[in-house]
Amino acid sequence: MTAASAAPRPEKREILKVQGLSAGYGPMRVIHDLDLTVYSGERVGLVGLNGHGKSTLFYAIAGLTGWQRGSIRLNGAEVGGTRSQGPGRYTHLVVRRGLALIPQGDEIFHGLTVEEHLDSGAFTPRAWKERKPRKDRVLAIFPPLVKLLKTPVGRLSGGERRMVSIGRGLMADASLFLVDEPSLGLAPKIGKSVMEALMSVELGDSAMVIAEQNVALLEGRVERIIGMHVGKLKGEASVAMGFQTRREI
Amino acid sequence: MTDIGFIATNAIVLACIYGTLAIGLSITWSSVGLINLAYGFIFALSGYGAWLAAQYVSTNGVLVLCAGVLTGAVGGVLVCALAFIPIHDKPNFTVRGLIATLAISLIGTQTLLWAFGPRSKNLPEIFGFWKINLGGVVLTSDKIGNVAVSIMVVTAVLLWMRSSRRGLEIRAMMMNPHAAAIVGIGVRKTGFYVMSITGGLAGLAAVLLSQTYYISPFGGLAPMIKGVSIALCGGLGSVRGAVIAAMVLGLNEALTSRLLGGQYVLITQFALIIVILLIRPRGIAGILDRAREA
Amino acid sequence: MSDSTWRNPLYLWDVEGAEEAIPANPHRDPQEVWTKTRQSKTPMLPVGRLRYYYKWPGHGGALWSRLRYWPTRRRVLEIRGEYNPKTLRREKTIVDKRPIWWALGLFAFMLGPLVMPGAYQNTLLAAGATFSIYAAINLCWMLILGTAGIYSLASYAVVGAAAFGVSWLSINLGLPWWLLPFAGAVIGLVFGVIIAIPAIRLDGFYYALLTIGLNELCRVYTLQSKQFGSSTGGLYGADTYIPQDWSSFDQSLLAYYACFVVLLLALALYRIVDGRRLGRILKMAPEKREAFAEATGVDYRRARVWVFVISSVGLGFIGGFYAAHYRGVSFSIFGFDTVLLGLAMLVIGGIGRAEGAVVGTAIVIFLDKVMISTGPLRLVLIGAIMLGVVLFLKGGLFGVKAQFRSWRDKKKSERRSMRSEKGGEMLPEEATETKNKDLLYWRRYDKMQRDFLKTLVTQEIIEEHRKQPLGQHSEPLERLLLYFRRAPQGDKYAITVVEPFKAYRIVAMSGQRGVAPRIVEDKIYASQNEAYHGVFMRRIQDLLES
Repeated sequence: MTAASAAPRPEKREILKVQGLSAGYGPMRVIHDLDLTVYSGERVGLVGLNGHGKSTLFYAIAGLTGWQRGSIRLNGAEVGGTRSQGPGRYTHLVVRRGLALIPQGDEIFHGLTVEEHLDSGAFTPRAWKERKPRKDRVLAIFPPLVKLLKTPVGRLSGGERRMVSIGRGLMADASLFLVDEPSLGLAPKIGKSVMEALMSVELGDSAMVIAEQNVALLEGRVERIIGMHVGKLKGEASVAMGFQTRREI
Repeated sequence: MTDIGFIATNAIVLACIYGTLAIGLSITWSSVGLINLAYGFIFALSGYGAWLAAQYVSTNGVLVLCAGVLTGAVGGVLVCALAFIPIHDKPNFTVRGLIATLAISLIGTQTLLWAFGPRSKNLPEIFGFWKINLGGVVLTSDKIGNVAVSIMVVTAVLLWMRSSRRGLEIRAMMMNPHAAAIVGIGVRKTGFYVMSITGGLAGLAAVLLSQTYYISPFGGLAPMIKGVSIALCGGLGSVRGAVIAAMVLGLNEALTSRLLGGQYVLITQFALIIVILLIRPRGIAGILDRAREA
Repeated sequence: MSDSTWRNPLYLWDVEGAEEAIPANPHRDPQEVWTKTRQSKTPMLPVGRLRYYYKWPGHGGALWSRLRYWPTRRRVLEIRGEYNPKTLRREKTIVDKRPIWWALGLFAFMLGPLVMPGAYQNTLLAAGATFSIYAAINLCWMLILGTAGIYSLASYAVVGAAAFGVSWLSINLGLPWWLLPFAGAVIGLVFGVIIAIPAIRLDGFYYALLTIGLNELCRVYTLQSKQFGSSTGGLYGADTYIPQDWSSFDQSLLAYYACFVVLLLALALYRIVDGRRLGRILKMAPEKREAFAEATGVDYRRARVWVFVISSVGLGFIGGFYAAHYRGVSFSIFGFDTVLLGLAMLVIGGIGRAEGAVVGTAIVIFLDKVMISTGPLRLVLIGAIMLGVVLFLKGGLFGVKAQFRSWRDKKKSERRSMRSEKGGEMLPEEATETKNKDLLYWRRYDKMQRDFLKTLVTQEIIEEHRKQPLGQHSEPLERLLLYFRRAPQGDKYAITVVEPFKAYRIVAMSGQRGVAPRIVEDKIYASQNEAYHGVFMRRIQDLLES
């Protein structure tokens, strides 16, 4: 990483600091010795092709990969370290420290209603106490969900499910939101509106990382765009740079 | 007339107790993904726990009941620690968990046999001795007590699961453990909750059933099979299905013993289960809600 | 002190500022870092791996490939013949040695009675017969459990039903002993069809629970009915194949070999079903992948019914033989503990393979018969072994090898990831992605060089450079400066003149033509030499941080 691009913003807090992270599944290694820092109040886009480790990076931060090694500091607390088994065994502790992962695809609870689903997003004890105002906030972002509150999620359409899934993530009392491919598998129009909704979330002191294959959806809306290639971060571009430069990343 | 009444009340009592067991099994399967075939062992263990309490502490009904439920919960935690925690994120968990619970059941019942001997024990009458005559049907205290306590406890558990945060936790884990981890639910911790609650249900059923039957090391097997058949018939993981199935099978038992004779009860029961499962491979729950199959 | 002093050769020529001797580092050999890196720190880990096979010499692969099992076209031993590309000699490799182990094991079992100690002869012969019968039952069960992947726990119920049926027939209708296995097979067929019907519709665990129930149903039914001897603890008095006028030793020996023949028949059945078309079809459609199998044109439902029918006929046959062997049957065959013990045999050996079924049976029967005096404790022991196997082993005893291999591979990949030091050499995955392969070696060399140079940075060196940034330097300082000067243009430090002879400042090159250098720090140096030293200090710092 060049010295210019990593210029720290002194007034910002480091939400996430990943150092020397390697992760993978069994004998396969997906993330290679990766460093990443995310500061409070910023939206970061993570672009890269299929299979280049975007989702694995998110999973590694949440402790869901097969094995991982390297330091991950979330709000200053170490949540990484070396782990060679038990994917997901400590995820709930990471989540309690302020992580909200919005995974790719439909990781939803089929039988719960939309309302219960949103409640489950605010599962951590702190968030649970104030889940009502949070729910109102999420419903303001996704108005179509108001009518569906009592419907089991298993009956919703793909776009509605994605809204529920993202809404569940936004319910959390988190300081870091990791959004994995929000537009995947959706019609372009719906994908765009989902992205709009993500952009309209007020971050405040927290930060958001959005993994996306479609650079055009992110262009001009996020503070930084980071490219990812075979498990490494390849260059970084701030929004000030032209689109053309970013295409070369 | 009194005969039918007697059989019907018997069927209701048994249905309540077996229903309690079936709901325990059902919750275990659906939330931690474990077919707990050590349930019979937990049942027998909590019977012995209640017996020890009655023998050495006091024969007060509430205390004996609590002792049974507590021992059951401890048994559940034990099974969880042995059969769920070490392998729940390893490959082939369901099969290995099933076999591990079978092994625990083998070890546990043999240990009980070794510790307490093959002679069966009986518990004190925890509901006292009184009876009501209701339109020609005599209801003894233990019947009323059994029905009331089991329905109360099961309703309380179900309501608690429906409304509280822990209940949401258990139900979320039932549906998608991976997503549950993502929203911050600790799978292992929840496993302990679930197993202690279901173990407590088994303990409750053990104490209630021992008002009618004796406690013996292998005495848990038959109730477990009954519970399993109800859970199967209702559809694993569905509480509503289990309740309906308990009623259907209780009715079947009452009718068969009235019309054909007691020795055909098991045969008609399994014929009924096979027919129901052939029509709906996921039991009555498969008829009730479609969302789960999605 | 003498070896850490540097004598300036220019001193004799009165060069300005040259001191005669200044303190410097003791000499360090660059070879040390090279040797150290090559020796231990970078193990040359193989990325893939080859399995080692013993190479038999000579020709003869052709002979082996001509010998085939009669009804099939299968070879006796799977042998691969090839020419060694290095020595150009003919070699052959036995790819699958299991037939050899099977032959040796069965041969040893056959010769067993010859070496049994006299005192235990009867016990051992009886245990051997029991082992053979149970192994045969377990092999048939394994066809359902392992090959078809259906969790049926009713196999002992089929055996028991057949045994009860033929005992009843033999007692009441006087069936001779040689008809009993065949009558048992017919009963097994009927029973198999009955339990196969739910297997088509039900999911694995529903079916497992249902079959436990069926087992219990059989137990309760026979226990309650008078025809099946509810008062005597079982149904006894069936015709037997063992002549009653023989001596007891001859009787045991006959029983031993008769049971051994049944075991061989069961093995043949397992081989025929598992190793041929039906087995392939069933293995293509395991639990939860039926839809995919169906989409590829596999009629798994029919295959499942077939395997149920075939194995139930086999189980019924064994049940008939069981009745003829023990002259009857007891209720305990329907007991939950029998099912548990049977399952323990399969699980300990490893589900899905014939050797697992046989060896698991041997272990459990041995524990059961040898420790019979300890009462319930032996069952506790068997249960504990079963629990241990389930918790720690993926595929029973015979899966240990594969499990160890995968564990070793996992550890290896972990070690590889541990090796990733910052600024270190390239990792295998990355190396395959890099176009310029020279870069791999350059990185490795550069890393070692930096490791060496880091050891040279001392206070004396820095002091020497501060005094005299230009000119002749001591050997370690020269090495450092040479390395720094050789750095690529991008991000290389330079000095820019703010005001001649008064103010200098450090900048960094952009590395691109036409792009101006960027300013690194705000500090203004008063003289050129100070600025030189500032650059030097920055580079030292970068080196130590890398």
